[in-house]
Amino acid sequence: METLHHILTAHPFFHDLPARHIETVVGCVSNVRFKAGKVIFDEGEEANHFYLIREGKVALRIHSERRGPLTILTLHAGDILGWSWLFPPYRWKFSAQTIEETRALAADGTCLREKAERDHDLGYELLERFAHIVEERLEATRLQLLNVYQDQ
Amino acid sequence: METLSLEKILDEHPMFRGMKEQHLRTLVESATVVRFEPGDVIFEEGEPARRFYLIRTGRVALQLVSYRIEPYTLMTLEEGDIIGWSWLFPPYRWKFTARALGVIRAISIDGKSVCARCDQDHDLGYELMKRFAQIIENRVEALSVHLVAIEK
Repeated sequence: METLHHILTAHPFFHDLPARHIETVVGCVSNVRFKAGKVIFDEGEEANHFYLIREGKVALRIHSERRGPLTILTLHAGDILGWSWLFPPYRWKFSAQTIEETRALAADGTCLREKAERDHDLGYELLERFAHIVEERLEATRLQLLNVYQDQ
Repeated sequence: METLSLEKILDEHPMFRGMKEQHLRTLVESATVVRFEPGDVIFEEGEPARRFYLIRTGRVALQLVSYRIEPYTLMTLEEGDIIGWSWLFPPYRWKFTARALGVIRAISIDGKSVCARCDQDHDLGYELMKRFAQIIENRVEALSVHLVAIEK
């Protein structure tokens, strides 16, 4: 448990999160490792987790009828993967597949959602961070869309 | 009379369901009734963002407007929908342009001043973040779908 505690404290996502909340989050995370090419989750599947990438590379993809999977973004060490566990219908909107062997912390979303609902101090800290990540993702996608659109 | 009806409108809106009375009151205190004519720009990409809008009647186009390109409509929003979340995060500037497609009646709420209390009042912060994060997520999804559709 000590190790998880240290990893969380050192992760930029949890920077400045009060110690008592770190303790709560530790109770919902575990260490995971994925081989290169492994599908971590697939579009449409039930979303129960998010991942703090510690090492490796993960491609975030959306499926196109015409062209098959299209990579929207590549995530690296320090990045957060997955937010669909936060919102109904709790299903993945994208697919995630490792490009290299990847080590991560997997956090149980249901566990965190329940704790956040009971403790709004924790809830606010988590949601503020996730809202920001979703917003960053929006900005990245927006720029990508503008690029493609301008090229046409 | 106006305050009473605003309270009722917000109270009955699915977006604010389950919020505490005191938080609803805070929203109502920052709310005004607004009207836009067809073609009006409700807010413009790049301009300072402060308010969000609850559409009561009419349709609004959410557009990407950028140098060298024609306005690109990302999605159309209508009665009951909420537009505007860029007041949540630095740099507090609109990411999209919202344009009235017909006569719009809406309630405009000063989200930035309401959420100035979010850092002190985590109950309020949690409730607002939970709701607006979902709106941002919905926009990411729309952007991604467009990206897949137009990518060569």
